[in-house]
Amino acid sequence: MTARSWIGQVFLGKAGLTILQVALAAIILLPFFWMVSVSLKPASEPFAIPARLWPQNPTLDNYVTAFRPEFRTYFVNSLIVSLSTVAITVALALPAAYSFTRAQTRLVFAIMGLIVAAQMFPASAIIIPIYKMMKGAGLLNTYASLIIAYVTITLPVAIWMLRGFLARLPVELDEAAAIDGAGPFRTFVSIIVPLCRPGIVATAVFVLIVTWQEFLFALSFTSTRDMRTLPVGMNDFIGQYGIRYGELMASSVLISLPVIALFFLLQRQFVAGVTAGAVKG
Amino acid sequence: MPKRGAWLVWIFMTPAILLVGGLMYYPMIGTIVHSLYSTSFINPHPQFVGLKLYAKILSSGEFGQIAWNSCVWTVFVVLFQNLFGFLTALLLNQRLPTTALMRSLVLLPWVLPGVVGAILWRFMEDPQLGLINSFLMSLGLIDHGVAWLASTSTAMAAAIAAAVWKGFPFSTVIYLAALQNVDQEQVESAIIDGASRLQRIIYVVLPSMREVIAINLVLTTILTFNYFDMIWVLTRGGPENATHIFPTKIYELGFGEFRFGEAATYGVFSIIVLALLIATYFLIQRSGMRWRAR
Repeated sequence: MTARSWIGQVFLGKAGLTILQVALAAIILLPFFWMVSVSLKPASEPFAIPARLWPQNPTLDNYVTAFRPEFRTYFVNSLIVSLSTVAITVALALPAAYSFTRAQTRLVFAIMGLIVAAQMFPASAIIIPIYKMMKGAGLLNTYASLIIAYVTITLPVAIWMLRGFLARLPVELDEAAAIDGAGPFRTFVSIIVPLCRPGIVATAVFVLIVTWQEFLFALSFTSTRDMRTLPVGMNDFIGQYGIRYGELMASSVLISLPVIALFFLLQRQFVAGVTAGAVKG
Repeated sequence: MPKRGAWLVWIFMTPAILLVGGLMYYPMIGTIVHSLYSTSFINPHPQFVGLKLYAKILSSGEFGQIAWNSCVWTVFVVLFQNLFGFLTALLLNQRLPTTALMRSLVLLPWVLPGVVGAILWRFMEDPQLGLINSFLMSLGLIDHGVAWLASTSTAMAAAIAAAVWKGFPFSTVIYLAALQNVDQEQVESAIIDGASRLQRIIYVVLPSMREVIAINLVLTTILTFNYFDMIWVLTRGGPENATHIFPTKIYELGFGEFRFGEAATYGVFSIIVLALLIATYFLIQRSGMRWRAR
């Protein structure tokens, strides 16, 4: 056996590949593990050098302190803004995506292209005019300003994802409904929408993950503590509490848990939704 | 949709068209207009200055540095994210006892909220408390904690590492889905022809994934160029502009210094770059469609 094939046997055999997968798991999970570990360390436990991975006297103290009134406000704000955005975005994206899959004219294609392209332009490049528009409308520092901005930035992605699901529903379905006497609106509401439920779930999760962590608009549009969302609130924590990483990590865990839980719950639909457009074009 | 439903098509599309037109394309024109006016903290009333801000910015050394930083940041994050994403996709495409579990774990960094990911990495790279310094010290590679994010020579690399960790799972998932679409008959006939694992990847798998790879390279380039959260939380563009990229500079000029005109000028430059990238994206997608139609 030559040296090269010997190396191949070791590293590309089942055992070697499993070891590589475990190494990958370590790269992915170590930061998470550390986040949880530090969040469980009491403030009195000195940060040992080299850093100790496992807390010696685990405690939930950091969580109790992290769950201060401001944090609860940020949490409620994030929840209101995210859930409203999800509801409005899906409600607007679904009919638009349906139209795009059923009316295949040149004009509709062009509009679709412009809408999909819009999501790729940086928010930072349009933030100043949007900020001034919101200011002019008297909406700065309100939920409305964030919800409007979030619906706008998530709408193109949502339409694009839903289009992937709707395109798979045969047009014959619409025709059959029409023969049975259902008007186009009724066909959409009582036949198309129920069939598209997996797509709706995947899109809703995607929109929620995006809005839950949105930072730039929230940072620019909110000016008082009572309107801050979680990401901006977290960013404020860094300055305010200096090096109190235990608390910072505890709040990090609290912020991440909802999205991570949701992700695990609906993973299959979610991955199908994200890859549908990208892989099949 | 049946013919008689044509009116419904337009009713269905109108809200999307109005929102995207009114709050994305119209503000882009606004950015161009703002770039022609000068404002500052002391003088908040916009004053028309024509192209003076462009001249000012282009002649400052800062613009060159930010363009260079944006370039380094984008190229390296995209390169490593896609390379690592492709290799891990190959790894997770193997039938192993741990594969199912790994496939569900791999997206975790990507699902983690951006600001949390950035704070976590700021902590990981902390000179005194960071896990990375502890690790390197225990290996004996360094003898004291290095302030990765505070030094002009290492800050960008430290930010890139964090962004790659956060972003590669997305590429993994896309490439994994593409790998599962590779024609198995072709792979098997290559095995019968005696092709090695590496030869199969180079001659069968890669060519059939050409289009997905091209689209993902452009897509991750766009997302990385626009990436604000990571750098803003890690370094705020510092030290000494070493990590400032277009989005962070725009935010700092606009909301930190109230120089909306200069911020908008940087915005115009980034719109131009993005327009070129987006055109590339659509060209690749269209040529892909034609190639498949043949």
